[in-house]
Formats: sequence, C-alpha cells, structure tokens
Amino acid sequence: MDKILAKKDYPQWLAKLASYRIYAPRKKDDVWNYELLTDPDGDRLEEVMTAVPAKGIVFPQREFFFAFAEKDDNGAQINELLPEDNPVVVFGVRPCEGKAVTLTDLVFGGEFEDPYYWRRRNATTLVGLGCAQPPSPNCFCLSVDGSPHSKEGLDLLLTDLGETYYAEALTKKGKKLVLEGIKLFTDPKPEDRKMVDKIQADSRKKIRRELSLIDNVPAKLKGMFDSSLWDDESMSCIRCGICTYLCPTCHCFDMNDEVETVSPLSGKRVRTWDTCQFPDFTMHSSGHNPRPDKASRLRQRINHKFQYFVEIWNKYQCTGCGRCISLCPVGIDIIKVVEKVRDHGA
Amino acid sequence: MGHNVYLPKAAKILEIREEVGGVRPIKTFRTAFLDGGGFAYRCGQCAMLSVFGKGEVMISISSSPLVKEYLQFSILKTGRVTTALHDMEVGDVIGIRGPYGNGFPLEEWKGKDIVFAGGGIGLAPLWGLVQMTNGRKEDYGRLTLIYGARTSKDIVFHEELEALKNKMSVHLSVDVAEPGWGEFVGFVAQNVLDKKPSPENAVAITCGPPIMIKTVIKALKDLKFDDAQIYTTVENKMKCGIGKCGRCNIGRHYVCKDGPVYSWAELKNLPQEY
Amino acid sequence: MVNIEDLKEEARRVLKEGKVKYIIGYERASDSWKANPVFLRKPEDVDKLVWDPTCFHNLVRFLVDEKRRKAREKPADSRPVGIVVKGCDSRAIVILLQEKFFERADVFVLGVSCESSGVVDERKLAKKTTGKSVRKLDFGDKQNFIVTTDDGTMGIAASEVLADRCLDCIANVPVVSDRLLGGKDKRTVARPFHAVEKMESLSQDERLTFWRDQFKKCVRCYACRSACPMCYCEECVVDTINFAVSADTPAEEKAQRIKWLEKSPVDSENVFYHLVRAIHLAGRCIDCGECERACPVNIPLRMLNKKLEKEAKELFGYDAGFDPDQPALISCFKDGDPEDFIR
Repeated sequence: MDKILAKKDYPQWLAKLASYRIYAPRKKDDVWNYELLTDPDGDRLEEVMTAVPAKGIVFPQREFFFAFAEKDDNGAQINELLPEDNPVVVFGVRPCEGKAVTLTDLVFGGEFEDPYYWRRRNATTLVGLGCAQPPSPNCFCLSVDGSPHSKEGLDLLLTDLGETYYAEALTKKGKKLVLEGIKLFTDPKPEDRKMVDKIQADSRKKIRRELSLIDNVPAKLKGMFDSSLWDDESMSCIRCGICTYLCPTCHCFDMNDEVETVSPLSGKRVRTWDTCQFPDFTMHSSGHNPRPDKASRLRQRINHKFQYFVEIWNKYQCTGCGRCISLCPVGIDIIKVVEKVRDHGA
Repeated sequence: MGHNVYLPKAAKILEIREEVGGVRPIKTFRTAFLDGGGFAYRCGQCAMLSVFGKGEVMISISSSPLVKEYLQFSILKTGRVTTALHDMEVGDVIGIRGPYGNGFPLEEWKGKDIVFAGGGIGLAPLWGLVQMTNGRKEDYGRLTLIYGARTSKDIVFHEELEALKNKMSVHLSVDVAEPGWGEFVGFVAQNVLDKKPSPENAVAITCGPPIMIKTVIKALKDLKFDDAQIYTTVENKMKCGIGKCGRCNIGRHYVCKDGPVYSWAELKNLPQEY
Repeated sequence: MVNIEDLKEEARRVLKEGKVKYIIGYERASDSWKANPVFLRKPEDVDKLVWDPTCFHNLVRFLVDEKRRKAREKPADSRPVGIVVKGCDSRAIVILLQEKFFERADVFVLGVSCESSGVVDERKLAKKTTGKSVRKLDFGDKQNFIVTTDDGTMGIAASEVLADRCLDCIANVPVVSDRLLGGKDKRTVARPFHAVEKMESLSQDERLTFWRDQFKKCVRCYACRSACPMCYCEECVVDTINFAVSADTPAEEKAQRIKWLEKSPVDSENVFYHLVRAIHLAGRCIDCGECERACPVNIPLRMLNKKLEKEAKELFGYDAGFDPDQPALISCFKDGDPEDFIR
C-alpha cells in the first residue's frame, strides 16, 4: 500500500497514534538517540544517525528475565517477568538498522526462541526513513548487501519528496499504522513514484565509502587465524565497548543476578548488553582466557561478522552503518581491516 | 510461545557427597525438581544450575539418563557460584534448566569398544556415559576406563570405581608415587600408552584439564586411533546456554549448543581458541 | 611553529640507532581527516607521522599496554618505547613515574609544544562547517586553523574551535622530554577552573539533577576509563572479577570479591561509577580531555575531574603531573593541610 503524507501533517499522524509508545530521534548535547515522545506536538522527523541504534528498542540494554525470592519453607519462588507487549512504533529508522534487526531476528529465533526479544519485536512497528544522503561519512551499506532505501526489516518506508513523504507499507503492521491516520494520507500520483525511484537511485551514488570485492573474505579469514595482522590492527585499540554496543547487529549479552534484599533473599535475573571486546568476556573462573589479548578479540569481532555469521546464515553480520568507524576513539576502521584481509598475501 | 528457555525450575538437593577435599574440592550433588518433573536428556548433555542471587553455571549431568530419580552433578569449587553451591546443604533449593548441548553420538558407537580416558574432575562428564554403557553392555564392545588424578585423594567416585573393576577394565593412576598406591604412577597419557587400547573398531573419549586432553589425544594417535575415533568435551565460559549471548563460541560453533562433545576430526578444524 | 620534518628526523634517527623498540606517534588514515595513533617500527615508517590539530589522543595510554606486553615478551626487550607527547600527555608520564608504574628509562619522550594553539573540538568544528565534510585540518598561523572541505579551504579562528581543555591549558609545553620541538613559551591562564564555576553556582539538588540527567545517556561502554592512561588497575572497582587471578587463586577469594557495581546502566550504578572514577583520579587527572572526547554520548566528564583538580589545588596547593619526584596527592600530607572537615 503506497500513500502520500504531507510533512506538515506528520505531528497529526503522531497524535492519532496515542495507543502506541512512540520513539523518534531526539537531540541532546549534540547527540541523537531514540527517545520516547511524550508530546508529539510540532514534531519534525529528523534525518539523522542516532548513537544508539534502533536495536535498543527490541533488545534493550537492560531487561529483566525473572524475579526470584526465598520462600519460608526453604523453597524458591521464580516469577517470569516478560516485557509488556504494548504496541511500540519507532520513527526515523535508517534502512541499515532495519536490516540489522532482521539479523538479530535470526539470532534470537531458531531452536531456542528468546521470549523477551520476540515479545518486544512483535509489538514494535519500525518506520524507516530512506537515506537521500548518507547520514554518516562512513556509510557503506551498499558493500554489505544493503542500500540507502532497503526495505528489509521495516514495516513502513518513508521516502522524503521535499514537502511530502512517500509512504510504502511493507507489512500488516505498517499498513495498520497508516490506517490509524488514513484521513491524513492521499494516494500517490505517477510522478510521485517516479520521484521516489529517482531519489532512491541517486542515493546509491552518494554513498562515499566502499568495501568492495569481499566475496573471498570469509574463506580468507579461515586461513588467517594466526596472522600477525590482528596484532598490528589492534595495537591502538583501547578495549572499550563502543564498536559493539553501538553496532546495530551486535547481540552479545550478559546475565546476572541482582540482589535486592539479602534476608530473605530476593532479586532479579537481569540481562545486559556485553561485548567481546571486554577482557573478561571469555575469561574462565580459573583465570584461563581463550582471548587474552586485544589481537584475539579484534580477530573475534571481524571473524564473527565476516566469517562465522556467514557460515551459519550466509549473510554478513554488518550493515555498513559506519558507527564503529565514526565513534571509535582511536579510529580503528573496519573497512580498512577487512580490506587488509581481502588483500592479504596478494 | 511455550516454555521460556531462560526460566529455571526449582530443584531440591537430595544428597551431597564430598568427593575430593582440600584446596580444589569436588562435591557430587543429587537433585530432584520440586514438582516431581524431569527432563529427558542424553549422555554428555549439561544443565544450567542457578544459585539465586549468585548466578548460573553450566555443569554436565553425570548421572545416566536411565536413572529417573535424580539428576547428578559433580562440581569443582572454583568461583562465585560453585563456592555458593559447595556451601549449600541437603534440602536447599537451586534452579535447573536444560538439557543443553549435543551429547555423545551413542548411535554411532553401538557395537564398538569404548575407551574412556579422564583426569581429575574430567571423569564427571564421562560418568553418565560410563554408567549407561555398563547398564547396556550388550550394545557395546569392550569398555575400558583409564583415569587418573594428581593424588589418590583427588580421585572422584573412588568407591564406585573400585566396584566397577568387576564389570569392566579400570586402570587408575596418580601423578606422583605415594605410599600404598599399587597401580600406575604417571600422567593419564602415559597410562594410555602403557595399557595400549586397540583402535580396532573402537572409539575413545577423553575429558579433563586442557593439557591432559592434548597429551591423551597425542597418545591415542600414537596408538593409531583415527582423528574421527577420538572424542572430547570442551568447556568455555557460558551464560545463556543456548547459543545467543555470543561468548562460548569456537569459530562458528557455540560450545553450549553445538558442543560440548567434539571428535578430534571436527575440533582440529576449528580455530584453536578455547 | 613545529616543523613536522624535524619530528620525523628525530624519530628516524632514534629508530635507525635501534634506541627504541618502536615509536608511538600520530598518523592520518587515508579515509579520515583525523589523526590516529600509529606504531612505527622502521626508520622508513616515520614518513607517516603528522602533527596537526587532530592529534588529540593521549598516546601515554599505550605505554600502559606496553607494560602488559613487556610482561609477556619472550625474550624481554628492555629498550625504551618512544612516544610523541603534547604538554598534557607529558603530565600523564609524570604521574605514571610518580606512581612507579614504570621507570624514566622505559620511555623516550619526543615532546611537541602546542605553543599558543592546541587540538580541535570536533563538535565545535562541525558547527562551524555545517553541512560540509571536513577533509583536512592544519595549523595556520598562531591564531588560525586551516580547514579543507569539499568546497575548498578556509581559515577559522582557533579560539572558536579549540578543545575546552586547550583553552584552560596550563601545560602547553611538555614538562618532561628527551627531545623538545616547538616554542617554549608557557601560557598563563587567568581562571584555570572557570569550567566548573557555573556548576558550583548551582544548588546541590540542581547539580545532582544535572548529572543524573547526563548519566541517563551513559551506556557504560567504559570508553572513558579505557582512554585514560591513569586507569591502569588490573583489579578495578567496577569489574566483577579480578583479572589478576591464576589457577592457584582460592575459590573463596574469587567468591568473596565484592560486586561494587552491577552491570546494568541504571541511575544508581552510573552515578556510582562516574563519581568513584573521578575520586580515584583526584590529584592524578591531568586534563587531557580524552574521557570526554571518547564518550559516544557527549557526557561532559571533564567537569567532574576538573572540580577535584580545583580542590586539590585550593586545599593542598597540588598540581598534578609536573614533578616526577613529588609524591602522589593522596599518599602524602603536610602539617599545614586543612583539617576543618575532620569533626
């Protein structure tokens, strides 16, 4: 279903979505992040790249699994704490984030479905905003099977036509969202569609950075486990968690018991994001650490994204958003590293 | 949606036995779910044990799947959760969820001789298998256990091992000679070479500290065991147990889900990062 | 004005003579306008060196890595490591010397003076060059930077885009060095702690509200801690495990380790983390500003450290990182130290 919405009517559409919790990009201290809108009046849909990607809405940095409590008769009470499934809508999602959610869907689905992820995921409508210009100088979505107007993972895709948005409903959820404000929408004219096609085609030419000819990289990586490349490339790594926490496809997490009262014992089992870049990520209780140094941890990050994930799912675990490049305090550049792998020994 | 994979069920500790004392104590726990239920599992699979307030650990189930009355775990005290477990008493309640992992490929081993080579706590993941194969002797060939520990005090299931000598070949060893010890003195790998199990229609499973695994695999290969005939269990730090938290991987495999049982033929092709 | 060729020549000579294991300096990656740390091992590598207003990193952080590396090195190479430092960075070397983290002979210091300039603040520059992608940034004359964008080159008044810490800088000339390049005229700053004056004028409640609001953004990536050369503890308060364990560490010791902080990025834990880190840096922070620069969500972390720097100065007359023979602030006392807070 394709519709047109005048940009000036966007706040009214939001007003019609009172039954949803609405997230949209908001700026604070020069940083954009998805915030819960409490008052959509006069809102504008911003074309930005947030620091924390949309994954944080379906896979939040912290969530509860269950509450535990000691019972009088020496038993234990375990109360499941599933997230609320009130409908959520996220506006301003860049196509790379939508694609990334399809990758986290693979991880959290499968044989052992993650009920927490799926409750949020199923209740969330993702409204994409196509990238007429790349939001970051480090965008390279085209190189990893993505595009500035990719529809993957999105429920609705908006293309900016200047005074209006061209809205393409891609799923039932997307259609429902349009229907909520149907009076504000009009039918597109043929020239609207032509304009969309032109904008989408032009946007591909504007992507500045490229990671080309990487078909051989998964196989190349297999033979480079002991390469000195990892040591060289990780020399300046300061082992923080920026590249992974802010990566839309990264999904590693930790589980911890947070005690609230000691006697009687009560507390919650909590999931939080974790990162393979922290030194204690793989450290055994005995002190043995399969990845004791930065070289092995950088190797893991690159291998996971460009070899292991490919071997399991036949997709790169990277959507080319460039956050890890832009935000790394020492400028470690995943494009450069993978290029070096590609060209290694050539 | 069905059953929540992260939710443990409450289980009571029925029995605790101290296997090994000292600075690296090992205790064996027998547990049963409070609601009387249970789960079906295969030899070599593991379960996540929760000490509420402390955390979870992945421990191999060391009782045979043929035993329905309890789940048995032999646990080395090494960190926060295992110390809390060791401080527990009969009647205390823990959480259990599982079973996880791939288990031993027993269907492929029918009719074959099985050589168990273990060291220290490494006997625990094998124990369920030892019990089960002894319980179904008609399905398998000759059963041989070659097991050792640092000292005789570090030997787990010592009484059961003595009793087992009536049913199968059991060769014990300690690293260093001690008064009263009449059996082999030396490392498990050396004992393997000494007892020369035949690779003819056989499989070997080894489990123990990483260095022991490496030396035993080498010894078995010296005895002309094929890579595909040698099996081992791998351990790694685990949290979710279901291949999602990303931490226990060896290459594309998650040890919690795709392992912990690997043949050497498979394992040698994975990145040696464990 | 610092001549980059002089720096390259010094670096080349020292590498040729085999005097150092490697040199830590700044290079520019081809797809970036910003400098990155570089590790030069061969004399011909020195051509990679750059010196421009994007050399903001505190490279002393990598001397901490070097110490860990050295412990694993077989055979051990006891030569020093060469390092390019700005004035602020050199103070970090002094702190590490004071704390006996390494010996003076372990580093060969190539000091570069910022003269009357400094490094750029990316956000300020982005505001000045709205919409245009920066391609290159160079030092102009004393008062200017030269910025090259897609549309060409233009001059910008340095004072409008200099990092705040450079505007407050009290160490524009490296305080320790084996070679020193650039002008030696020291800057004076009229109000070195003006950054915290506004905050001090607020009530305690207002201040707490401000910080709790800021920490809501915190994702506990620990980039602030990771970027700081002085956060070198193997056993850090925020880690739930002690990294200095071995196979022989008793289980009880590991089990009894206090979990000071939960991993959850919630109000209580975030406030605790940042305040404890600031307190652990009292008398040690030399205001390189890296914590604030590294932060992906722009939390104004410098202010926390600056406040404690002010207290160290006003209560104890202490300036961090100028004299390697001076003891650490919290490890010494003078008879005249204030006691009015002791009740």
